[in-house]
Amino acid sequence: MDLSYEVKDHYAEITAEGRLNMVSAPKLRDMVAEVVAAGTNRIVVNLQETSFMDSSGLGALIGCLKAARQAGGDLRIAQVQPQVQMVLGLTSIDKVLMSYPTAAEAFAND
Amino acid sequence: MTEILARRTLRQPALPEAIEVVHSELDAVWEDAPFVPELDRMTFATAVIEAASNVIQHSVPETARPVEIEVDIVVTAGSLEARVSAFGAANPGALEASSAMPDAGAESGRGLALIDALVTTVSFRRENGTNTWTLTKSRLED
Repeated sequence: MDLSYEVKDHYAEITAEGRLNMVSAPKLRDMVAEVVAAGTNRIVVNLQETSFMDSSGLGALIGCLKAARQAGGDLRIAQVQPQVQMVLGLTSIDKVLMSYPTAAEAFAND
Repeated sequence: MTEILARRTLRQPALPEAIEVVHSELDAVWEDAPFVPELDRMTFATAVIEAASNVIQHSVPETARPVEIEVDIVVTAGSLEARVSAFGAANPGALEASSAMPDAGAESGRGLALIDALVTTVSFRRENGTNTWTLTKSRLED
């Protein structure tokens, strides 16, 4: 998985390309920790190019959500693809991790 | 005897890198069995990756020899089947018992619940020092 981030006006967008699994999940956690430590607590993870996510990847997203909230912000996801949506739905995490059609919309109203 | 329409098998040390090989073999089996509907591929592949991740993350070697993982994926006319084995691993015992979905705040513990939700049957067998999980998914009508 290729991970990168860009700090925008009022949030940071993390782009995750590839498979979010037990190999890449720790890297996502590290990147979110880095973004939060650098002073941005509102984070959007763009999942447009995330073709696959397993429970390790899901656990990382939940950990990252907690990290952002503990820093007084939030973590949201955008452009979720079918396999990732299936995992979010089966685990009911779609009720706690807010999903948006595009990254720009995730923090558009707050 | 049910005819095997596509089959892929891998065996290697049970290290995190093995997960990427399981993904590649799943992709390869779909190339050999293009008639399997997308939804079946998605659900079955997710379950197989969960089972393989489980072996890689939680298997404890029974002796000084490291654990090896084997994944055998078989497509027949009516089903998808995967045997995920841990060679040289200790008996996982009660560790494997819980497959309830944990609370939303939990960062782990969803793998077995997901497998249960994704496939038709899951069975576990320990034989000659090898733990094997067999996942079966009845295919949707084409």
